[in-house]
Amino acid sequence: MTTITIAWIALPFLLGFTIYLLPKVDRYLALFTAFVSAGYALQLFAEQSRLTLELLDHFGVTLIVDQLSGYFILTNALVTAAVILYCWHSDKTAFFYAQAIILHGSINAAFACADFISLYVALEVSGIAAFLLIAYPRTDRSIWVALRYLFISNTAMLFYLVGAALAYQTNHSFSFASLRGAPPEALALIFLGLLVKGGIFVSGLWLPLTHSESETPVSAMLSGVVVKAGVYPLVRCALMVEEVDPLIRIFGVGTALLGVGYAVFEKDTKRMLAFHTVSQLGFILAAPVVGGFYALTHGLVKSALFLIAGALPSRNFKELQHKPINTTVWIALVIASFSISGFPLLSGFGAKVLTTKNLLPWQAIAMNVAALGTAISFAKFIFLPHKAAGEDVVKPGFWPATILLLGGLFAANIVYYEAYSLANIVKPLATIGLGWLAYLLIFKRSLLKLPRVVEQFEHLIGGMSLMLLLLFWMVMA
Amino acid sequence: MLEAFVFATIFCGFFGIILKKNLVMKIISMDVMSTGVIAYYVLVASRDGLFTPIISDAANGAYADPVPQAVILTGIVIGFSIQCLMLVGVMKLARDNPTLETNEIEKSNTP
Repeated sequence: MTTITIAWIALPFLLGFTIYLLPKVDRYLALFTAFVSAGYALQLFAEQSRLTLELLDHFGVTLIVDQLSGYFILTNALVTAAVILYCWHSDKTAFFYAQAIILHGSINAAFACADFISLYVALEVSGIAAFLLIAYPRTDRSIWVALRYLFISNTAMLFYLVGAALAYQTNHSFSFASLRGAPPEALALIFLGLLVKGGIFVSGLWLPLTHSESETPVSAMLSGVVVKAGVYPLVRCALMVEEVDPLIRIFGVGTALLGVGYAVFEKDTKRMLAFHTVSQLGFILAAPVVGGFYALTHGLVKSALFLIAGALPSRNFKELQHKPINTTVWIALVIASFSISGFPLLSGFGAKVLTTKNLLPWQAIAMNVAALGTAISFAKFIFLPHKAAGEDVVKPGFWPATILLLGGLFAANIVYYEAYSLANIVKPLATIGLGWLAYLLIFKRSLLKLPRVVEQFEHLIGGMSLMLLLLFWMVMA
Repeated sequence: MLEAFVFATIFCGFFGIILKKNLVMKIISMDVMSTGVIAYYVLVASRDGLFTPIISDAANGAYADPVPQAVILTGIVIGFSIQCLMLVGVMKLARDNPTLETNEIEKSNTP
């Protein structure tokens, strides 16, 4: 198993560069890599045990793979496969596939490592690959969005590096476990880096613009898995060091409310989805023990939603309400929206129930409000007009990708089949009903437009220093 | 003392990122900041001593810790490559925005 793990980590990078040498077989190699990852994740579920690979001596450079990473890796594999299928008949060059696969590999590495330095390398490589993917169309806007992304993530990672050095100084080890007993500065700096990278709470406000302005397949990949590379280490830390668990939970609740608060008022489809990603990351952090399953569900559904939003005739909800969309696209949209609102028979339901079961009492009310907000914001999609011959042009690769993702949602449903009890089923239905009622009565007509001033580049960097103070204060308290 | 200087470098870089208006200056400030971080790793490594840990005839002295130094090499390479990528992006942007003021670029490129 050790050899398999190492080969699996190295494979995407190897094939990524091979694609560039053999541009003719780019798609096949890319798809093959995604399948290998999926197979590896299934193998992890079958083994049920934890595998630890350690560098010689005690510097704490370790890789850990267990079921939690299995969920994240499976998400990564399925989303990458769907994105490649989506691009199959487009005129993307070998460069695009090579970058997509390198991104896939670096995120896989981030899901396997359990020390700050390998994590740093994995996150930075994923940042560079994401930069190249966002800038792929080479328009002014895409270059600016990509530059902004790389700049913010790199600045955050510099803070993170200082934190890693401080943590090393106390325990002479880089592993996540060395957070225990580390000075509060170290914890604050490391968490700032991860929070920014993962798009959590106020420091995650770079995310909506980046995710909504990139191309459809790229935003599916960014929202589906790239942000989870920042979230996974937080979840892992919360599980390995109990002292940081309350901190992570507070951030989870804050993020869930903040993201959904923006999403409810948003008038643009892709921006709404991006804000909603912020809120869902909060759900993953709110209950770290079961975060893996939630991440799988969210990754599948969010990338499906981004792909579908790319197939709609307009990005503005106002315009969409006057333009009937094709019924088949609408059905896919409704399935995905139902899953994310927690409707039974789809894996979103199991994930929501499982998360609710693992919440602490003080979190329950806030998370229920966030779930209600989810139902309200997705009512915008569900109540769109549709007819059999509606206007839309779907790309040839659209259906295979969507079917793969939505099929994954149905299949993941069986992971937690114990969720199907009467009390569990009634509650999400009531939430969804209440959300729809609120949407039809209030939010459909609301004209409130939230200001975007906090999303400006300089304010994001400045916000980082404020977050650092907040974190420091929280850790000290 | 040295530690104070190192942190001063990091802060200089960070304030440069916030205060400078020009995109190229911002990137250079980021490089100053990463230089500070690298210096901090070297400082952490030299906490116990300054000798390079290489087998030789010299008397055993107080050795520097090789781990942070080895680790930060990756950081240097990554920082360098990000710098290059960003400057290439800026070159492309400079064709349409000769001043490279971030506010201007942001205004014309956000929806």
